[in-house]
This record gives sequence, structure tokens and C-alpha cells, in this order.
Amino acid sequence: MAETPDSPPNPARIDRSWRMRAAAIVSVAVATGSVIGFVLIPAGQKSGAHLTMGHAMERAAGLAPGSPAVPQPLSTATAIPVSTVSWSPDVLKILAAGHTDRGAQIAGQTCAACHGDKGLSQSAGAPPGGPVFPSLAGQSSYAIYKQLNDFQSGARVNPQMSAIAQTLDPADLASVAAYYADGSKEYAAIGKRQLLGDPEIEKLANEGDSHRRLPACLACHVNNAGGPIETPVITGQNEDYLVTQLNAFASGQRKNDVYGRMRDVAGKLTPQERAALARYFEGTL
Amino acid sequence: MATAARPATTAAPRETDLAGLQTSRLVQSHIWIAIAAFAVACLLGVWQMWARSPIQAPYHTAANYFRSVTLHGVSMAFVLTTFFIMGFGYYVAETALKRPLPGIGFAWVAFWMGIAGTLMAALSVISGNASVLFTFYPPLTATPWFYVGLVLVVVASWIWCILMIIAMRSWRRANDGRPVPLAMFATTANAVMWLWTTVGVAAELLFQVIPAAFGWNQTVDVGLSRTLFSWTLHAIVYFWLFPSYSAFYTMFPRAAGGRLYSDTMGRLAFILFLLYSLPVGLHHLFMDPEHSNGFKFLQMFLTALVSVPTLLTVFTITASAEIAGRMRGGKGLFGWIGALPWERPMVLATGLAFVMLFWGGGGGLINMSYGMNAMIHNTSWVTAHFHLIFGGTVVIMYQAICYSIWPSLTGRDFPSLKPLLVQLWLWFIGMMVMTLPWHWLGLEGQWRRVAAFDYSNPIIHGWGPWVIVSLVGGIILALSAFLFLYNLASLHWRGVLGAPAEIEYARAVHEPERVPSSLNGFGLWNIIVALLMLLAYGWPIAQFFVYPPPQAMVHRLG
Amino acid sequence: MAINEDAILKSELRWAIVVGGIVAVILIAILYAALAMHINPPSNREYVDPKTLHLSAEFTEANLGTRVDPNGQVVARLIATQFEFVPNCIVLPARTPVTMRITSPDVIHGLLVSGTNVNTMVIPGYVAQVHTTFTKTGDLLMPCHEFCGLGHSQMMATVRVVPPAAFHPGPGGRIACGNRG
Repeated sequence: MAETPDSPPNPARIDRSWRMRAAAIVSVAVATGSVIGFVLIPAGQKSGAHLTMGHAMERAAGLAPGSPAVPQPLSTATAIPVSTVSWSPDVLKILAAGHTDRGAQIAGQTCAACHGDKGLSQSAGAPPGGPVFPSLAGQSSYAIYKQLNDFQSGARVNPQMSAIAQTLDPADLASVAAYYADGSKEYAAIGKRQLLGDPEIEKLANEGDSHRRLPACLACHVNNAGGPIETPVITGQNEDYLVTQLNAFASGQRKNDVYGRMRDVAGKLTPQERAALARYFEGTL
Repeated sequence: MATAARPATTAAPRETDLAGLQTSRLVQSHIWIAIAAFAVACLLGVWQMWARSPIQAPYHTAANYFRSVTLHGVSMAFVLTTFFIMGFGYYVAETALKRPLPGIGFAWVAFWMGIAGTLMAALSVISGNASVLFTFYPPLTATPWFYVGLVLVVVASWIWCILMIIAMRSWRRANDGRPVPLAMFATTANAVMWLWTTVGVAAELLFQVIPAAFGWNQTVDVGLSRTLFSWTLHAIVYFWLFPSYSAFYTMFPRAAGGRLYSDTMGRLAFILFLLYSLPVGLHHLFMDPEHSNGFKFLQMFLTALVSVPTLLTVFTITASAEIAGRMRGGKGLFGWIGALPWERPMVLATGLAFVMLFWGGGGGLINMSYGMNAMIHNTSWVTAHFHLIFGGTVVIMYQAICYSIWPSLTGRDFPSLKPLLVQLWLWFIGMMVMTLPWHWLGLEGQWRRVAAFDYSNPIIHGWGPWVIVSLVGGIILALSAFLFLYNLASLHWRGVLGAPAEIEYARAVHEPERVPSSLNGFGLWNIIVALLMLLAYGWPIAQFFVYPPPQAMVHRLG
Repeated sequence: MAINEDAILKSELRWAIVVGGIVAVILIAILYAALAMHINPPSNREYVDPKTLHLSAEFTEANLGTRVDPNGQVVARLIATQFEFVPNCIVLPARTPVTMRITSPDVIHGLLVSGTNVNTMVIPGYVAQVHTTFTKTGDLLMPCHEFCGLGHSQMMATVRVVPPAAFHPGPGGRIACGNRG
């Protein structure tokens, strides 16, 4: 039965042959890539890490840590934490459960004497050399919670605060933090404070200094910066408190900032800049 | 009825001409929104390049810089592209299939949904509460309205996808056995691919990022979110590229005065993109610790395969150009190049696009190999690469497509093609001037997403002059962008009446009577894509559930 | 113009073979690097909890920086955090295999060491690990190259590569840059 030259090839056969060729090509591609990546390469590399084939393939497949080609380092260090506070959903729940009424009670009894009954510091304007108390009204609850915990654990040391912090339990800490965070909004609101300084200081606060690898202060210390959770509000804080803390970080005397973020920043600022930034961030109403 | 007074130089218009395209207002609305986003983003881009340069720029704070980068990225990557692709898709559905678009009411619903989403996202960014860049990697988390806005845009595009599939299906039912016109085949392939593509980012947004942004979750699995985003991140560039390649195959050969070398190759190229643009997203995570060498290698192998359809396209389109050139009398090995009608915008744009494709595609081959990737990951090389390949090759074709279709949409012809050619040349020159030094700086180690460089550092100081050269390129691009806007807008008052409401697509040298069913539909390919994704992404995603890693705290931005 | 349909398909297939050849060359180069030079991307599926990183042993502040481990491996341990690397400057020997282990207690960071093949993302939850051998000596820039927040532009460290003869770890195997970078 000779085929006439004009008879069209069977369409169903063409379709099927396309499907099979396509499936075959894709399968070969995936199989080749897999064999090379999961078998061939670890086989060729395992001598570098003195591994068996099985272990090398485990590393290549991501079922074990490390490279198939290099021995995995071991650590023999011991933990020396600078602060025991760590953030987790559980801790945030504790903070969310803090009662501002209970917090008001504790604040009235214990905190107001120095931190003011509105949470505005009693030491502002006092002659230098005396004790310096920070304002707390409108401070971040995470910041207050962390500092109180650090005073309690000894990660941060201050004669009065270390003693006072011992008297508070976790629920109390949370309540006090919630109370002050809830406090006078006119303290915390950055828009409510006029921040004025000379151009150099404004630049440091808003842009940072790439030469010294200094991020802008406002890269962390503003509401929606997305920086570290425990970042305190500094706008409207009293100047003498800000400058003593910056100096304490710079000298290493205060070291409860996790991974030295503030120690690094403060250490790069000159003493004059620390003073000028403290004045800048106190601002004016 | 032809009763309006018109210039007597043209023949009396036919009934269909005056009736106009059913999708005319729909298409124009979409594309004008795309162009508006594009123009704003170009201006922001110039400011950004200025801010990064040694020359003092105004309003130069970190907050402003990253707000601008976010708005620029979202406008270019999500708004310009999605709206243009939707608009052009509706245009092709009507003109290639030569019938009205089914379900045009839904298309308008999708349009307004897209507008609402765009406004929501844009206002969030402008307010400073969403400076997370267009890649929005958690744990950095913006205001939830930013993400909700983006979701609305994506959902609007899904409606478009369904309408494209329905349009192609109903045409096939009415034209049993005949091959779907190549332009519509490409458009629908793009729609099918986009549905697959958006699964990743939709899952990331709906299950991880939006719950975190609303405060329902306090932690996020960072590795999983990066992996889901990577699913989308590569395939999305092919979503952007499809209209441009469609123009290569179905518009350029005709504009050049010739025929398409091979219709079959065109279909094959689009199918290969559908298959291999998806299971390769891990190549955006080559430098990440959370994925194994083995899966990175497998996806790199598949990435090598996705270079094939581009290389095939280069061959097929060059062959088509050669046919046209020789038909116009070009002789000798290269004489046909000069014989091509370069005074036509579509021809000029294609030629310029191919030059940029050479450089941008070459850069892509380097990015795809993880050894070389380690030299350039997150350096300016990457930024230069995607500006050249997307901003260059793809967007210059978007511009040429607009010039091609505007007469049939508006009923008016361009009085002169010169401003169009000038605009395309400016875009090409600007893009080359901006991106070539930028590639070099990436090799020198200049890194990405920097608001301010320390030019007092001797190494960085040496980069300064090149950054300024790139800035000049950016300024040329902005000029070109506004000329583009002007060229299209001015058609409405300077255009010559009488353009017919239709367009002729290119014909192949051998027009197919019938094509194999696998080159006329996507049933088989959907199955293969599903299998490929299962093999390439199955375990890389499952591992986050089988061995759950520790999660990171959410960092909220507003 | 008479171009036979078969001839068209044949020419496309010839070109596809050329394309296949180009792709094969690239893959062979990668295989060579993998098998002869043991070059891999920086994969390391090793979990660490970012929320309690500062309480952990390996990444406690006192253990950061370069140390020659008891088994002889030169390992530099770093933290990438908003907005600095800790420590800001590390010392490593040239022409010696070294390992860098970096992790993040907060958001995604990334780093590269200028002029070398050290390049990795730092993903909270994982220890990023890079193996390399430095060939040139000098002070190399190590910027953070992934957006990590508003201070990203200023986040940078120094890698001081010294000749092996000048690499003298102190007791405990530790060596630091000395004065601030």
C-alpha cells in the first residue's frame, strides 16, 4: 500500500510524538541536574571534608549542616550574655498583659519621687554633678521592660535602680512599662518637639556619617524605623540623662546594649557631638 | 455613518473604522496608568542616582532615599508592567482573534481594583510607613495596607488571566483545529505562566506577611518567605518580557517588510519560557544559607535551559530580519542589515532591543552560574543587569508597541515618525550610558541599596566619576520618558484622522494549517510545570515544615 | 522566495545545537570549579535561634572575632545586626583556608568582602558560612549589601588580611585588629 505523497500525516500521532519528546527532554534534564548536584559533586568533594558518601550526600541535600567539601567547625565557647532579656511572642504577651492601673500604683509609690508623678524627670535643670533621672512618660514599653530587667539581673548597674528593680516581679515590670508607655503623649510625639541644631548635628541625626560608619540616630530612634525592638524614645528626653548615657556607652561602663550597638555608636562620636546631640534631642516644646 | 467632516485626502472610512475597537478605552486606560507610574518612577530614579553620587542632592536623608527606592521599584516592577501587560493583552485578544473580548465588564472591574490597590500601596509608601523596597523581605514589615494594595493589583491581574484563557478557548471552539494566532498564543501562555508565578508571592503575603503586618503574628519564618518570593521573582521577569517577545515575533517581521522565519519556533519559545521560568527561582537564593547545594545546582541547571528560548528567539528573529532585508535588495553577508527600514519605530526598537539583549543577556548568563554569582551578588552589577535587560530590552519594546497600536486605538496616525525615533534612540543611549559603567562598578565591589557613599574613602572615591556618568544616563532616560509621554498624548490633538481600527500581525514564511495540539494549547504543559515545580521546589519548601527553623521577630515600620 | 519548511526547521535545529554547546561549556566550567576547586555556594542548613542569639554560647560577644580553633581551623565569627558588624574589624591570614560564620539576631543582612569570592546572605535563623582562601593582603572593605533598614548605608566592616608570618593569635587562639579599624 504505497502512501500517496499528499496524504497528511496522522495528527494524533504527531501530537503524541510531541508529548513524548517533550516529557522525555524535561525528564532527562531534571535527572541529569539531580544526579550531578546530589551525587556527582558531593562524591568529588567529600575527600576535602573526610566524609563518607552518605554524609557528603546528606550535606549536599541540606539534611545536615556544612559543606560536602570542608570540615564543619566546632564551637567550644561558653555563654556570657550582656543582657538576659530576649524578645519572643511569650514576652510580648507578658507586656501586652501589663495593667496600667497596677502600674500607676507602683509608679506612684516607687517611681514618682525621682521620675516625677507625670513621668517627667525631677532632675532636669538641676546643677551638674547630682543624680540624673530620665523622663519616662511616653517611653517605649519594650525599652522600660528591658532596662528594669537588666537592673534586676545586674546587666545594668545603678545604685538606686538596681535595688528598686529587685522588688518588682515580671508582672509588675510589665505593668509599670505599660503605664509609662501609655503616659503623656506630648512627651513621646516627635512632631510635638521642635528639634533644632546646627547643620552638622542635624546631619548626624538624619543622615548619619558614612565616613565613620555611623548610622543616622533616626535610623533606629524614630517610630516607624523598624530597628531593634528595645530602642528607646529619645526625643524629648532630658539632655543630661542622654549625655551621661552616651558617655557611659562610649567608655564601656554601660554595656547592656545587645551586641554593642550603642557602645559602637557612642564610641565613634566625639564628646562635643554627644553633648550637642543630647541637646538636639531634648528639643523644645 | 460617515457624516463628520474629515480631511479630503483620505478615502471615506469604513463602518468598522468609525465603530472603533471594542477594547479601545479599556486598553488606553490601562496603558496611561502604566505610563503615569513609569514617568513618576523615572523622576525618582534620577533623584536617587543624584543622591548616590558625589554631587550634593536636596532632601537627601536615609528615610527619603528608601521611600523613593520603594516607590520607584513598586511603580516600575508592579504597576507599569501589570497595567501595560493587561492592556496589551486585551488589545491582542480583540485584534488577533478578530472578535470582541468576552467578559469586558469583568475587565473593567479588574481595572478599578488595580487602581484601588495601586493607590493604597503608593500612599502607604509616600507616608513613610512602607520603606521595604519592592522585594519587601520580612522580618522588616510595613503597614498592612501596603501589602493589601499589592494583593489587589495581583487579584486584578488574575481576572485578566482568566479573561485571556476564556478568549482563547472560545476562539478555539469556534475555529476547531485551526492554530491559535501566534500573538494570542503568546498572550495566553503569559497568562497561564502568571497564574503559576503569583502562587509564591500570594502565599507569602497571605500566610506570612499580612498576618504579621496586622499584628496577628509576632514572628516570621524568614527562610520560607524568601523561598516563596523567589518562586515569583524569576518568573515575573518573563511575565514582563512576553509582550516584548510577542512583538519580536508578530509585529517586527511585518514592520520590516518581511515574514516570520518560523511560526513553530515562536510557539516553542513561549512554551519553553512557560516551562523553565518557574523552577529556577532558587538562583536568586544562591548566596542564602537555607538551601542546599544540591537544589541550588538543580535549579541552576534548569536556569541554563531557560536561556535556550531567548537564544532561539535571537536566531529566528534575525533570520526574519534577513529575509526582509534581502527582499528589499540587501546583498552580501551583512548588506541586508542596512537595507532594513530603520525609519520605522518597530524596526528600530527591535534592533536596539537586540543590542541591549546581548549585553543584558550575557550578564544573565554570568548571574546564573553560582561561582560567578558570588562575585556580583548584591552589587551594582545586579542593578545594572536588570535595568538593562528589563528597562532596556523589554521597555523599549513596550514603547514601540504603544506606537504601533495607538493609531488603531485612537483612529489617528502620527503626523511624523521622527519624534518617535528620537525618543527610542534617547532611551537606548540613556540606558547604555547608565548601565554599562554601573556593571563595571559592581565588579569593583560597589554594593546595593545605599543611600549615601563615603566618597572620602579612596576606593569609593574612584567610583565617583562613573556614578556621575550613570546619573547623566539617567537624565537622558528621563527626557526620553517624557518625550514618549508627549508623543502618545500629542496624537490626540496632532494626529491625522483616518487610521483603521485594526492591525496586521506578521505572517510566517510557512503559515501553519494545523499545529500539533501541544503547540496550540497548554494542557500538557501545565502538567509538566506542575511536575517540574514539585521536583525543583517541593523539598525546598517542604523542608521548612518538616524541620521548622527558629523564627525571627517582626520589625515594624509604621 | 523559496525557503523549504524542512530547511527552516533544520537551520533552527543546527542553531539549537550551538546553543546547547554554549550552555554545556558554562556547565562544564561550573563542574570543574566544584570538583577540582571545591567551590560551592554558601549553603549551610544550620539552625540558630535569632531571638536568643546573645544568650548562646558560640555567638556570645566574647567569642566573636577570629580564633584558631583547637582543631586548627581558622574561624571568624561575626554578628550582623542593625546597623553594624560585630566586631567591626577582623584579622585573617592570607594563603590559608579560613571559614567565616555569621548570623543575625534581627533582620536579613548580607556581606561581601571586596575583591574576593566571599559573598553571602545572612538570614536570621541560620548560621551563614563561607569558606575561602585569601590571596592578597591588605585592608578589605566588607559592607552589608542587603537592605536591613534605614542605617544600611553605613553598615560596614574591615577585613585585615595579613601574611601568614604576621598572623600571631594570642593565648586561646584569638586575634583582633587592635585599635578601632
